[in-house]
Amino acid sequence: MGRRYRSRWLSLLMLGGLVLGPGLALAAKVKLEPSNWGHPAGEACASCHAKSSAGLHQQWQESAHAKAGVNCMDCHQAAREDSDAIEHEGQVIATIVSPKDCGRCHTVEVEEQQGSVHAEAVAVVGERIKALADNLTGPAIQAAGCDQCHGSVVKVRGDGTLDPATWPNSGIGRVNPDGSKGSCSACHGRHAFSRAQAREPEACVRCHAGPDSPDKEVFEASKHGMLYAANRDKMNLSSETWVAGKDYSAAPTCATCHMGAAGKLPPSHDVGMRDAWRLNSPVSEKQYLVMFVDGDKRDLPESQEPPKRGEQFLKNDGTEAEVKFVIPPDRRRQAMQAVCLECHSKAVTEGFMKQFDNVVELFNTKFAIPARDIMADLYASGKLTPLPFDEPVELTYWELWHDEGARARHGASMASPNHAWWEGMYLVGRNFYSRFLPQVREVGGPEASAIIDRHVTDKEQHQWLKQPQQANPILGFGKPEAGGG
Amino acid sequence: MVKLRAPLFITRHVLFALVGGGAAGILFMAFLIEFDHFSSSNAFCTTCHSMSFAEESYKASVHYNNASGVRASCGDCHVSEGVFAATWDHAVGGKDLLKQIKGKLFGPDYDDPVVTALHLPEAAFAARKWFKAKDSATCKRCHELEAIEGKRADTAAIHREETAGKSCIDCHINLVHRKVPGEETFKRDAWNRMVEEEFGLKEGEAAARFGAH
Repeated sequence: MGRRYRSRWLSLLMLGGLVLGPGLALAAKVKLEPSNWGHPAGEACASCHAKSSAGLHQQWQESAHAKAGVNCMDCHQAAREDSDAIEHEGQVIATIVSPKDCGRCHTVEVEEQQGSVHAEAVAVVGERIKALADNLTGPAIQAAGCDQCHGSVVKVRGDGTLDPATWPNSGIGRVNPDGSKGSCSACHGRHAFSRAQAREPEACVRCHAGPDSPDKEVFEASKHGMLYAANRDKMNLSSETWVAGKDYSAAPTCATCHMGAAGKLPPSHDVGMRDAWRLNSPVSEKQYLVMFVDGDKRDLPESQEPPKRGEQFLKNDGTEAEVKFVIPPDRRRQAMQAVCLECHSKAVTEGFMKQFDNVVELFNTKFAIPARDIMADLYASGKLTPLPFDEPVELTYWELWHDEGARARHGASMASPNHAWWEGMYLVGRNFYSRFLPQVREVGGPEASAIIDRHVTDKEQHQWLKQPQQANPILGFGKPEAGGG
Repeated sequence: MVKLRAPLFITRHVLFALVGGGAAGILFMAFLIEFDHFSSSNAFCTTCHSMSFAEESYKASVHYNNASGVRASCGDCHVSEGVFAATWDHAVGGKDLLKQIKGKLFGPDYDDPVVTALHLPEAAFAARKWFKAKDSATCKRCHELEAIEGKRADTAAIHREETAGKSCIDCHINLVHRKVPGEETFKRDAWNRMVEEEFGLKEGEAAARFGAH
């Protein structure tokens, strides 16, 4: 037992070590020599901008950057051949400071971030934009809606200006003119770049809120959120290192579990690395994390054959690269549990994860897979046109997994009973039986009954429908509840 | 009492020549002044169709329409003060006229909005150099550095404290005409792509049209 436990820790450490480089239990120090900071032209920038944009200047002046002597030019300098380079007061600069720019100093963080679900957030929505934004509403919503979270593909126009259809934008997966993906300022607010601010749950709220990913609401409604609200002043948010259980223990924030250091687990800017499940999909699957030699990464569903070390394998961008190693779902779960264990016992941690996994399995088997198979039958038989959202049942199906289905799964994953049930699984059940199936009957015509029987009524989990005589007083009818008031 | 006498070499012919030449000189100067004045007017400049593209953006600018009622004409900004300098500027500007005429015969035709758009950056770079060389003299006809207050709190302070060694044009470009990047960061390919997109041309057509002369 002891040996097995040790070897687990060893592999966990290896996971962290391989991803992050050696000896990084503490926050990574910047790589660029301080002698390279403090561009000589920066003083003139600051002098004028203290007047022309006083708020921005003040944020910078109070920042750790300013205290270390890092000025405007250190981040905004550009090479004249850069596509978004502009001349400004005799200097060649760029408005956009991309992860590549930040990575001149914050090398480790950017390496971790590249290839993460955050950095790949544009690819996640790819085809959906056309169906949802363009068709269902209109293209104008993309810049103000979709792209503000997922990131825009920034277009530099021939006259050197940034196309307002793509800029301003600080979406987390922004595709920058220099080809890098992401926007550090999505979480690290300009121009203060305060570490305390980025560690707060509010750093995530701009996107992780609302009907499809109510993580803000889930967190606030959980006991983690309750403790955070009560103990905010004990969170040591400004501390240089921020190791859970060492530098603070009052409560976790989003960053604690998804990115933070805990015990021997190193911190990481790959925010999805500890996610064993892919929760935001029609049917949830556990997932491998494929690490490539060139530093890229790719999540791979468990149902697919994982590649072997050294093999050439397809990356997210469609090209192939050599596989460095593959992290299986249980190792990702272990990394997450390493955080839990700083405050919870192993039994509680594993019990909680079991409750969470059971909800995902319930959603998958009882609703997600049958609904998916019914839709597949309707498309195959021509009862539905291939165009999404021109038939009401398509919207019902979409929301079943993307909205209430996601809420149920997120609620269970982060311990908000209200979201797991009322905002989540209750609505999944209600909408499945009282909206989705009736709409299927409507479009399916005479064949609908057979399709529904095959995927739903004949299945074990839906047998309750075959016992219409089983009375229950929940609606005020039937026999009185024993001991009920 | 000394009688004033013209020197002997002032013959009648010389006298005629002097009076006639003087009168002609005065007339010529008057003509130059009038011509410079006339040829600095918006009406004259936009006689060439190609200049009507510059006029479009100008008419949308604050230098054309503003609350004060002051309106800067083409010449107010682009022609120097003083008859000799103004004449020189017009002489230099005459090459644009030659190009316009030559273009009508052999191409490129500057009346074509695509051609004008393609050549705009070089025109802008030349204009900026001219402003810089003149230390933005024509701006200063109307704008007095010490008098600039601005509407925002810090505009005055910026103009007092941040302008040493700088000329108006160093900061204030792209005020009136279509935006053109700085010469150092200008990218011909990207500019051509933009023009192609704007006029619905095929990729590569801009380069072909730009190079066709």
